[in-house]
Amino acid sequence: MKKLELKFLNEEGKTVTISLDDPVEPVDTAQVTAAMDAIIAQGCFYSNGGDFVEKKEARIVERNVFDISF
Amino acid sequence: MAVNTLKVDSRLQLVFSTGTDEDGNMVLKRKSFNNIKTNATDEQLHEVSIALYPLQQHILVDIARDDRSVLTES
Repeated sequence: MKKLELKFLNEEGKTVTISLDDPVEPVDTAQVTAAMDAIIAQGCFYSNGGDFVEKKEARIVERNVFDISF
Repeated sequence: MAVNTLKVDSRLQLVFSTGTDEDGNMVLKRKSFNNIKTNATDEQLHEVSIALYPLQQHILVDIARDDRSVLTES
């Protein structure tokens, strides 16, 4: 299962992550940038450490699960 | 009796359709964002939702807002 993680810096310089499952691939960099800018501009998220002020990074994370049978 | 309303929590929920099950019913997947300011406007939440949804693969069915208020006697 893959996840898109959007990481922001808040007013205290701490990282805050917004994640979405099942990202579109290949990633459209411009679209990700636009979405992150919109999130900062709208300012409707809060965090311990204030509003989101800056984009830090965006990445796709994949989790692999292997069942172990007994 | 007058009642005061104090907003204490807001959430944004995106409802996606991920396909259909064997009976043809729509399968929904919900993504909640809990760290929403109580004073965020509906327009702001809508803008953010519209910006986020094309980054993932599923069809957006609903943008929902959950507000929780505490009621007290004034």
